[in-house]
Amino acid sequence: MKKLISLSVNGKEYELAAASNKTLTQALRDDLGLLGTKEGCGVGDCGACTVIMDGKPVNSCLILAVQAVGSEITTIEGIAGTGGLHPIQKAFVDLGAIQCGFCTPGMILSAKGLLDSKPEPTEREIREALSGNLCRCTGYQKIVEAVQEAAKTMKKEQRRDYHEGV
Amino acid sequence: MLLLPKFDYEEPKSLQEALRIFSELKGKAKVIAGGTDLIVNMKKGIVAPACVVSLRRIGPLSVVDTKKTVIEIGSHVTVSELASSGFLAAALPVLAKAAATLGSPLIRNRATIGGNIVTARPAADLPPALMVLGAKVELKSKGKKRTVPLDGFFTGPGSTVMDDDEVLTKIVTPGIPPFTGTDYVKLMHRATLEIAIVAVASRITLDGPAGPIKDARIVLNAVAPKAVHAVSAERFLLGERPSEELFTEAARRAMDDASPIDDIRGGAAYRREMVGILTKRALSKALDEVRGRETRGAR
Repeated sequence: MKKLISLSVNGKEYELAAASNKTLTQALRDDLGLLGTKEGCGVGDCGACTVIMDGKPVNSCLILAVQAVGSEITTIEGIAGTGGLHPIQKAFVDLGAIQCGFCTPGMILSAKGLLDSKPEPTEREIREALSGNLCRCTGYQKIVEAVQEAAKTMKKEQRRDYHEGV
Repeated sequence: MLLLPKFDYEEPKSLQEALRIFSELKGKAKVIAGGTDLIVNMKKGIVAPACVVSLRRIGPLSVVDTKKTVIEIGSHVTVSELASSGFLAAALPVLAKAAATLGSPLIRNRATIGGNIVTARPAADLPPALMVLGAKVELKSKGKKRTVPLDGFFTGPGSTVMDDDEVLTKIVTPGIPPFTGTDYVKLMHRATLEIAIVAVASRITLDGPAGPIKDARIVLNAVAPKAVHAVSAERFLLGERPSEELFTEAARRAMDDASPIDDIRGGAAYRREMVGILTKRALSKALDEVRGRETRGAR
């Protein structure tokens, strides 16, 4: 039986009719048309479906849509500002951390989860934070470098915002 | 794409309401907590509950209560909270350590302590840590409540003493006594998303700063149908003064306490050998922790 539910995604409220066996990945892709979230393995091993739920990166393939009611969801579509790409996205592009792109949304959201709680992570902490996200193209090195670069940029922006009183 | 079968979904607002559902539906209803095990098994067709019940609106289940003489951890506290809480890292370091090895950061953000216990997997990371701590679990059903020591909770792979209408509400563990050290060592092929080939949890309590061993606990993981105490090794250590030779002999005895099988993660002979290596390491590390605590305490 379908239930009318309301999901809060990227700061916007969406109403949809969801059966209880619909996963959050399916709701985001099929009902809301947010195709940035990928479904890879479907069992929590690959991290392609990563979204941020109430500040924490999670596997959306292991969450029922009905379980996400009342939570704040952020997908890859929701992190760019009005001024363009998020610094993590920009660093991934600039440093060649993207090849086929299938893991990228998940990688970027796991990285964002890390940098939001720990703005100056060590390389080890970055590798640990991304360890639930698999990439079969890059060999990870450039992804790690991109997160390090993004951390620097975000710190600079924060300092600038502070001085300009934003 | 793996699809989920059909099921009803309930989200009761009180524990009382939840217990009523379980008493009515008996074995047909299952709790969904983090879902990191249940949803995978439902997608693979291993389990097919008619009704899935989320207890996420029942606040007390997600709380760590530190105000009493014992520490009470709600069954819905997440594994990442166990791994990252400063309080738990100081009070129950062995639990925090075991939690940090479970799954991946993404899994840990959803998986719960209760889920890791009730699924009763022989390689689950939290039960050995909780068993060396002497933890108990509180089980509630409609009009009934009982507390079961974790040592007697598991009956085999995937099975426990829990009845169909019972819900695990909290885990109760005493704190760590003075002159005590603990450790959890997990052997894996890689650092993340890995089930233990063998893991060992240890705890030793000395009788005073330089005293003999007053209490010894060694729990072996993934080498028997459930986590088991290395009983003969534990008994051997009692009353003895800690030394490298003593730990070597205890480790040898622990190998005989294990009953490993061959499976995709490792062979039985290899696992038995590793029980020896890991037990010795876990005991040495526990002893280091006793001494570390003393030094910190003396400052």
